[in-house]
Amino acid sequence: MVEFKLPDVGEGMHEGEIVKVLVHTGESVQQDQPLLEVQTDKVNAELSAPVTGIIREIFIAEGETVEVGTTLLVIDAGTEAKKEETKLPEKVVSPDKTVHFAPARADHRRSLATPYVRQLAREMKLDIELITGTGAAGRVTEEDLRQFANRLQKSAPAKFPTSAIGNEHPLEASAVAVETEAVVQPKTGIAPRVATSSQGEIERLPLKGIRKKIAEHMVKSVTIIPHVTSVDELEMDQLRALREKVKPHADKRNIKLTFLPFFIKALVIALKEFPMLNASIDDSTNEILLKRFYHIGIATDTSEGLIVPVIKDADHKSIFQLAEEIEQLARLAREGKLTMEHITGGTFTISNVGPIGGLQATPIINHPEVAIISLHKMEKRWVVREDEGVIRWMMNLSLSFDHRLIDGVTAVRFTNRIKELLEDPNLLFAEMV
Amino acid sequence: MVVGEVAVETDVVVIGGGPGGYAAAIRLGQLGKSVVLIEKEVLGGVCLNRGCIPSKALIHTAGEYHKLRSLNKLGIQLPIEKATFHMPSWQTWKSSVVAQLNKGVDYLCQANGVTVVKGTATFLSSDRIGVETGGDFETYKFKQAIIATGSRPFIPSFLKTDGEYMLDSTDMLALDQVPETLAIIGGGYIGMELGMAFAKLGSQVTVIEAAERILLQTAAHLSQEVLKQAKQLGMTVKVATKVEKTELADGRVSLACTSEKNGSEIITAHKTLVTIGRVPNTGELGLAQAGVEMDERGYIPVTSTGRTNKAHIYAIGDVTPGPALAHRATKQGIVAAEVIAGLPSSVDSPFVPYVIFTEPQIAGVGMTREEAELQGYKVKVAAFPYRANGRALAIDEGEGFAEVIVDQESHLLLGMHVVGADASNLIGEGVLALELAARVEDVALTMHPHPTLSEVWLEAAEAVLGHAIHIVNQSKGAVSK
Ligand SMILES: Cc1cc2nc3c(=O)[nH]c(=O)nc-3n(C[C@H](O)[C@H](O)[C@H](O)COP(=O)(O)OP(=O)(O)OC[C@H]3O[C@@H](n4cnc5c(N)ncnc54)[C@H](O)[C@@H]3O)c2cc1C
Repeated sequence: MVEFKLPDVGEGMHEGEIVKVLVHTGESVQQDQPLLEVQTDKVNAELSAPVTGIIREIFIAEGETVEVGTTLLVIDAGTEAKKEETKLPEKVVSPDKTVHFAPARADHRRSLATPYVRQLAREMKLDIELITGTGAAGRVTEEDLRQFANRLQKSAPAKFPTSAIGNEHPLEASAVAVETEAVVQPKTGIAPRVATSSQGEIERLPLKGIRKKIAEHMVKSVTIIPHVTSVDELEMDQLRALREKVKPHADKRNIKLTFLPFFIKALVIALKEFPMLNASIDDSTNEILLKRFYHIGIATDTSEGLIVPVIKDADHKSIFQLAEEIEQLARLAREGKLTMEHITGGTFTISNVGPIGGLQATPIINHPEVAIISLHKMEKRWVVREDEGVIRWMMNLSLSFDHRLIDGVTAVRFTNRIKELLEDPNLLFAEMV
Repeated sequence: MVVGEVAVETDVVVIGGGPGGYAAAIRLGQLGKSVVLIEKEVLGGVCLNRGCIPSKALIHTAGEYHKLRSLNKLGIQLPIEKATFHMPSWQTWKSSVVAQLNKGVDYLCQANGVTVVKGTATFLSSDRIGVETGGDFETYKFKQAIIATGSRPFIPSFLKTDGEYMLDSTDMLALDQVPETLAIIGGGYIGMELGMAFAKLGSQVTVIEAAERILLQTAAHLSQEVLKQAKQLGMTVKVATKVEKTELADGRVSLACTSEKNGSEIITAHKTLVTIGRVPNTGELGLAQAGVEMDERGYIPVTSTGRTNKAHIYAIGDVTPGPALAHRATKQGIVAAEVIAGLPSSVDSPFVPYVIFTEPQIAGVGMTREEAELQGYKVKVAAFPYRANGRALAIDEGEGFAEVIVDQESHLLLGMHVVGADASNLIGEGVLALELAARVEDVALTMHPHPTLSEVWLEAAEAVLGHAIHIVNQSKGAVSK
């Protein structure tokens, strides 16, 4: 009896909707014959039979949403395979109503194995009834399980991703197991053991520390969040002029005034108007958490990699205060002195790669936040204003957003609003609280 | 009744605190799940409060009392006529045993982080359950649920129990006095166990069974030993006899019975115990609201992992089709808990042992000879009598035999059955042997300690092979009983 469970057909998916059930109870199916159609986030996947057999029970209905790992149906793989394993006297018909919890006192013609070996088979996702035992009186031994697993692995190499090398239970990707279960999960930190001498010299560095954490965090973020990026350009002339005017005042107070504080101010105003961008999703309860506070993360380049210190309650701080705090945090970051307190609790992140260059990017969202903005290089460009070509200071920004929560239209309206506020910074003051 | 607006959220709710439910809840707690265990009466269920434990306490007491009569033979001289049985004292002792076990279950639930809620549970939907807690109504939202509401006696309307004259097993175990005369409708294991206990305590017992023989759950030649003993205890056992009508007059119940052999007859007794089967407690649970299906008899069909037709709702124990036994409920409970926690567990064994605490006890696991032959096996069977076992004679328990059923071709053990003293403990070896897929040689070659009753297995196994030491082997090779 093979329990067919909902596999993870998309990396990290939790549940799927059963769109179509293509078989019914009592029907015999061939291995690889489609059984069901399941819809996940964006994909429609067809799940096919891991073994040849008879469908004994179906536990789900069309339209039902079920979690990964839920048993969808049970296939009796017995009849064919059993014939060669045990010598069944002609008259025996085992009226096994499959799977009742405790088969009363019937069906003793199961393969012979100790409870421990049975448990091991379940862990290896093998149907023990398909295995010929080599032990005394035909008992299935631990060794038999491993041999069977190896054979299956060899016969189905394509289904066996390299990431499973060294896996103790190689059968996870076997034909008896649910084949699609072997989705390649990028496992950062595990160096592939591939011979490379013929291709040239390779230096191996351990993936560790902050880099490793960043790697894990990035993988998690892209695994969970369907990212979409939209790009726009801003005209910076008025903001530049404003900054020039204010700068001497800042200098007097020993404050290094960059453009970033103005961005943060504009951002906070826009976030208040588009609360979905200052939210997160609680995956465990399927709830959207709208945050009524504005903690802005500033992605900062350090020798170890990107660190994101957070400016708390940015909406309550003046432009000068913001400038001061940015400078302070950046210094701590460079000196490696940031504490957990400094880098947690953000609700939205700005990545400022402008000083270095670049036209556009797909910034990765800082999970569990739902959006991130990347600021690019400021440069003079030819643009058309009132039908005339003129030179203006222009800058691109890229906004990545969580498409589960935010639609393209909302995202563009949001950047439009930021654009409006920064292109005419007088509006910033009009909105200021 | 106001339905609470705010549902308390939990990973799993377990409905019913019997041996199935509490085992599941404790295992879930061990595996780090948040669990709410809902019980409308007392933790421990039927088994602890009015089934296995109280009945075995009574059977043990009756056995000790009855033994007094044979002590004389062993040289212990007691004025037997002065020994009396005081049932109220027994009730006090029994209650203390039950209370101690109740406390133990309660403590284990606490220690494993299980929240125990007193009340009657009903499904409101497929992820909500309402609990009536005497005036209040609480709602729980769950990710998974385990139904473990057990079973109750089946009482047809013409045999209506009244707790006074017509009793079910619960009433019977709550009596304060041994009835002078006792009629028992139903010769199954509960009827025979309680019947023999009361006979030993002094009741005049008549068992009325509609089938051709008593103890249908076991092979006829095993139940025969019990029938022999019942007669020695002075019991009357009427098989193939149906109760048609009951009537109450002058503090006695009259049962109008018919049988082919005796035609119509009237049996009168001070008390009548009705024990003709059990029915699952599924009717009032609101299963339809949860979308959980039952079969036509009210049982909930489940898979080997305990799943119902709703993948996130499980059922275990007496509410599922199969033998109504506490150890089956417990095993199912543990498996369901483990499956919920993502472990690859399954109840995939056909070896559900049974134990009957009659005089003598019967216990078994695996197939009987008839079942094995029906499945097409060519079998070898051998039995070894208690009276050839030194220990059995030394404790004055010479009745009974152990029987081993083997596949002639492979010598695999197919079934092990025993009727006799301490059969309930002896069967442990049988269950292990069958689970380990042992051959009869495995048992025969294992050194069994002497002098013990366990040697009956050793010798029965050797007898199958034609070389038992303490009986004359009928022939070399295939030996039949
Ligand atoms: C006299 C007698 C002797 C027995 N002897 C033996 C024996 O020797 N060996 C053996 O293995 N078995 C024996 N049994 C059988 C054994 O008691 C049952 O198989 C076992 O108790 C079943 O366990 P369970 O967990 O399924 O349910 P139960 O033990 O029936 O427990 C179910 C629990 O659920 C509660 N409940 C029901 N509905 C609700 C609801 N809606 N909300 C909240 N709670 C609810 C009940 O109050 C009960 O406590 C005996 C039974 C009887 C009657």
